[in-house]
Amino acid sequence: MKKESIRLALLVLMAGLMLSSCIREEALNAEADITDVSVEGVTLIRKPVVTNNEVLFYVNGWQELDRLSPKFKTTDGATIEPASGTERDFTRPQSYTVTSQDGRWKKTYKVSFVSDDVATEYHFDNMKWYEYRDSWNPAAPVQKLFHILVDKTSDGHEFEWGSGNSGFLFAANGATADKYPTCQEEEGYKGKCAKLQTVSTAAFALLGTPIAAGNLFTGTFELNFSNPAKSTRFGVPFRKKPKELVGYYKYKAGPTFTDKHLNKIAGRKDSLAVYAVLFETGDGVDYLDGTNSLTSDRIVLLAQLKEGRETDEWTRFSIPFKAVGGRSVDPEKLRQGKYSLAIIMSSSKDGAAFNGAVGSTLYVDELKLFSE
Amino acid sequence: MRHTNIIVAIAAWGCVLSGRAQTDRTPALQSAEHNGWEYEVKAGVNIGGASPLPLPVEVREINSYSPKFNGTFEGTVTRWLGRNRRWGLSAGLRIEEKGMLTGATVKNYSTEIVYEGSRVAGYWTGYVKTDYNTTLLTVPLLADYRVNDRWKLRAGLFSSVKLDGDFSGYVSDGYLREGTPVGEKLTFDDGSSAPYDFSSHLRHFQWGGQLGATWCAFSHFTVNADLTWAFSNIFESSFKTVSFNLYPVYLKLGFGYRF
Repeated sequence: MKKESIRLALLVLMAGLMLSSCIREEALNAEADITDVSVEGVTLIRKPVVTNNEVLFYVNGWQELDRLSPKFKTTDGATIEPASGTERDFTRPQSYTVTSQDGRWKKTYKVSFVSDDVATEYHFDNMKWYEYRDSWNPAAPVQKLFHILVDKTSDGHEFEWGSGNSGFLFAANGATADKYPTCQEEEGYKGKCAKLQTVSTAAFALLGTPIAAGNLFTGTFELNFSNPAKSTRFGVPFRKKPKELVGYYKYKAGPTFTDKHLNKIAGRKDSLAVYAVLFETGDGVDYLDGTNSLTSDRIVLLAQLKEGRETDEWTRFSIPFKAVGGRSVDPEKLRQGKYSLAIIMSSSKDGAAFNGAVGSTLYVDELKLFSE
Repeated sequence: MRHTNIIVAIAAWGCVLSGRAQTDRTPALQSAEHNGWEYEVKAGVNIGGASPLPLPVEVREINSYSPKFNGTFEGTVTRWLGRNRRWGLSAGLRIEEKGMLTGATVKNYSTEIVYEGSRVAGYWTGYVKTDYNTTLLTVPLLADYRVNDRWKLRAGLFSSVKLDGDFSGYVSDGYLREGTPVGEKLTFDDGSSAPYDFSSHLRHFQWGGQLGATWCAFSHFTVNADLTWAFSNIFESSFKTVSFNLYPVYLKLGFGYRF
């Protein structure tokens, strides 16, 4: 009797507590997290990092970042502004605001695409004149003949781009600087740019050099009459392992393709050349030239623009350095400065052999060389 | 099972007392009873908990609950009124414990934990273990109604002074958002936990309502049940970390001896 009444009382109490203590419907989420991220159209070199208010995507320095549409997952029910998948320019970090499901909490994330790659940049914004002094007539005014493009090396020193302009000098016949194969042009992708054009050297046709392709390269030019293709001395010492060459170009092929005897070759269209080679120096070889700049067995790495085409819009290219002939970069030799790098551009791909189309024009700007 | 044993022990003690007392009443007691006074001692246990009412939305699941063994001991004086002694007033002095042990799963629950030696306030989502225990000195003031020779009912108010108190526990298997629900996330998983202790914020005085009944098993031996419901939050009003109020609601069950 006693026990029953106690049990009953207990039951009544518990029932009462239960009734008032039911688990209530779950509240809307108050958190506003980005829980997962993804992006297409760009190669991520490691997993993105998402902190409480920052998202970091790790990319190679040469990736194009101006039109990316990263996607975000958020806490259930939370909203993100701008919406996930919105195309934005990530050359600079962008902000996103996440609002919690209950609408009471907001959090702003900074979303960045970052790289620790260091690039050597070439802007083609600066040049100096090749000046001619008549040594027979010291009183004559100094003549400004053609442009020498000037940029800075990765360690900040000024250097001059090599070109074949001084070889054209003898055929120039008073031409203005902008008629030379290589010159600076006002309208670049950013600022000024380099203009390379294949020109006729009419008078020299008999020598087997009827045209001069516009060229621009890291190296020097020493006119070699007996073998003009050897006049270009490609390459300057380079102590890092290059990874990628990025830049912008415009190209127009000349109308008539001719060989070195000025024979028209019907149906052949001129094309441009943009490439870079890392090669080993030594054994009396300090540079490559027009005869072996793509074929020397000293070349270790090659980056070559293969899909270069005619375009009157500035077109971005990004070309990776790849090992050639199974050779690899020896870090010890790299340290000792035994490698040289040549960046080579030409308005006629086969210009070194004097095949090309007069009028072919290549504009190049904002080169970036990424290295390890 | 342990509790049952204790209840049985108290019951046995009560039986012994009642058996003896029936023959041993002093003339003073007989005189007091004649004048409407009644004296009782009661012992029992408090079963219940300090609960938010209703449960706040933060609480998603009650994983475990133990009322603990909360002993109470009380002396009561009742003055029965009128000719037929149907109504009366009573006052008492009670030493009692109120406590509970709970494990709950919560979401976005405002709290303050101790993390790497410093206090961190924020919003916890995960498991919370709470150990609540107080010792109180309580004075009930009640109106009594005698239904018949067997049953007495009573209702009234009580107030308590806290003699000792503890409200502490730990959080685990979840995460704390520091400061606000969008603050930095501190995650505790794989068995890691963080303690909290709000003991120093427990209120010193509390008051509430009491509703009870007595069943007189024998002329001196009684069985008592009282529901006590505190109207004040167990924490000081200046304490805002726990964002909802906790009200101690206990059922006191026990036995008494009526002199």
